[in-house]
Amino acid sequence: MLEKMMKTKLFGWIDERTGAEAILKSQLTEYQVPKNLNYMWNFGSLALLVLVLQILTGIFLAMYYKPSAALTMGGYTVAFDSVERIMRDVNFGWLIRYMHAVGASAFFVVVYMHIGRGLYYGSYKGPRELLWIIGVVILLIMQGAAFFGYLLPWGQMSFWGATVITNLFGALPVIGGFLQEVLRGGFAVGDPTLNRFFSLHYLFPLLLAAIVGGHVHALHVVHSNNPTGLDVHEGKSTIPFHPYYTIKDAFGVGVFLLFYCYVVFFNPQMGGYFIEVDNYVPADNLQTPPHIAPVWYLTPWYTILRSFESKLLGVVAMGASLAILFLLPFLDRSKVRSARYRPVYKQMVYLFFITVIVLGYCGHSAPTPTLKLIGQIATTYYFAFFLLLPFVHKFEKTKPLPEEI
Amino acid sequence: MKFKHFLTVAGMALVLALPFAALANEGGAALKHAEVNTADRDQINRGLTVFTEVCMGCHSAKYVTYKSLIDYPEIGLTREAVDELRGDKPITSGLISDLSPEDATVSYGKVPPDLSLIVNARRGGANYVYSILTGFEKDPDGKIPDGTFNEYFPGHRIAMPDPLGWLDHDEADTAVLEAQAKDVAAFLTFIGDPHQNERHAIGKYVMIFLILLTIVLYLLKKEVWKDIKH
Ligand code: HEC
Repeated sequence: MLEKMMKTKLFGWIDERTGAEAILKSQLTEYQVPKNLNYMWNFGSLALLVLVLQILTGIFLAMYYKPSAALTMGGYTVAFDSVERIMRDVNFGWLIRYMHAVGASAFFVVVYMHIGRGLYYGSYKGPRELLWIIGVVILLIMQGAAFFGYLLPWGQMSFWGATVITNLFGALPVIGGFLQEVLRGGFAVGDPTLNRFFSLHYLFPLLLAAIVGGHVHALHVVHSNNPTGLDVHEGKSTIPFHPYYTIKDAFGVGVFLLFYCYVVFFNPQMGGYFIEVDNYVPADNLQTPPHIAPVWYLTPWYTILRSFESKLLGVVAMGASLAILFLLPFLDRSKVRSARYRPVYKQMVYLFFITVIVLGYCGHSAPTPTLKLIGQIATTYYFAFFLLLPFVHKFEKTKPLPEEI
Repeated sequence: MKFKHFLTVAGMALVLALPFAALANEGGAALKHAEVNTADRDQINRGLTVFTEVCMGCHSAKYVTYKSLIDYPEIGLTREAVDELRGDKPITSGLISDLSPEDATVSYGKVPPDLSLIVNARRGGANYVYSILTGFEKDPDGKIPDGTFNEYFPGHRIAMPDPLGWLDHDEADTAVLEAQAKDVAAFLTFIGDPHQNERHAIGKYVMIFLILLTIVLYLLKKEVWKDIKH
């Protein structure tokens, strides 16, 4: 199909003026990909799909949404009312909004799987260090975008979540107070906060789109890793991206949409995991909800924060837990990439995945002494995983690597 | 253990853990179960009547306009019926109680919450609303005065006066009151997300389409990949 299109006159005309043929060839029909990628490699294209979905649905939501905390009848606000208008009166507004709300969670599911795959198969190691680092930047921007977006409906969780998180910045020495005030646009979370969060919520995905472009470009320079982690020889063990991986990714999209649409159409709140129950209560700055927790995808880091008695230490630890991801390519000294051939690392990385899930669970639940202790143990391992990596290769007996994939 | 197996196990563990996490958050007495059907026109209309005749004495549902009572197929009132219901309020007005927030504060010490989203805004949803309405009992400890003790309300002391007269009702009326409570819970569930029936209906076709699409894509993938050994 693509070949046929490239032979048409119109394409020739465009090609003379843009070099489109060379781009399509180098990026698709002649771009070489290892032939042994498993389905864990589908999550990258899925992440791109969800990003596009989020931007498209977001554009339509912004046509009706009003970022104002001015009070309306019954303790609601203009912002809250505009969301309900979308849900009730705008044609298919409910669909667009549920797609966007579920899409936020889907984005993190897909990206966390993508990151997990990178961890397991050592995709962060040379020559892909920068590819990984750009990925971590993407993760941080996503978390920011999600956090800003969650304020917009101006429900109880929106308001108190933003209050708690902006409070954290206040804990930093010297610049803390200033930073907190700039974020909030005042001394407390209020109308100015809502306005700037809306602005930033629109800005961040644009940044994402640009940086994702860089991520894909970096990938196409160093090419995909593969389950064996071996360097591949072009031709013998590679196949062109198109048609092989376009069709495999398309199949992955089908499977993903099955899950995504099931949730959108049949269970969009996901029992309070995707849209929290308390966020249907209008924001009230005089009434703190009994239990404030961020949405599930931020809870692992929230647990790390809560594991320390001192707020400052907690904030620093939370920052460090994200920042340490940047260092991963340089902490891991083993020459072998894939966990398949690294018995010690394999155990470590499994335990790391479980740890993150445990951290997420602890951060979601109301704090109890037992959960706090479990959270602290998990936090310890979270850091231990990274700090042990520089030494693992010294005693790890890696399994023999195959000659060729 | 292979990576794939690990993922399956981890995924299953997560799915199993989620309901427990939800339970852990609830606390308080176990709620009574209310059979509500948001596609049942009769039940929703009976619930609407309970709402306008009882609850609206104190509560509003501001996101539900009089006009929407005509437009939603699940309610489908006639223009005449709506005109009678709204009196001199405009047809674009929400279902607004005549009780002002000031008067409510004087009478009950609290402003009754708007009920448009109450089912979405409480853990337990319709079951919670039903339990509250049929939860006015005598305080077993004898501390909270009759009529202000509610078995299912957090802290038990509720500012809402027993709206259906549950506390001292005759044995013979139990079924009637329970039905009223269920009906109004069904109505509130419906208005919490008034496009839910439409959503489910469209969703079925979307799923069927996606299943077919995914099968076709899978076969296509197999066809394209058939010569690749890996
Ligand atoms: C006489 C006034 C009055 C009437 C009539 C009334 N309510 Fe209430 N309702 C209140 C007040 C006051 C509160 C606040 C209670 C509190 O927070 O302690 C309330 C609270 C509630 C709540 C929220 C409880 C919570 O978890 O915060 C629900 C649900 C509710 N009412 C449902 C109804 C329904 C359904 C009806 C009609 C069958 C009804 N009410 C009729 C006054 C009333």
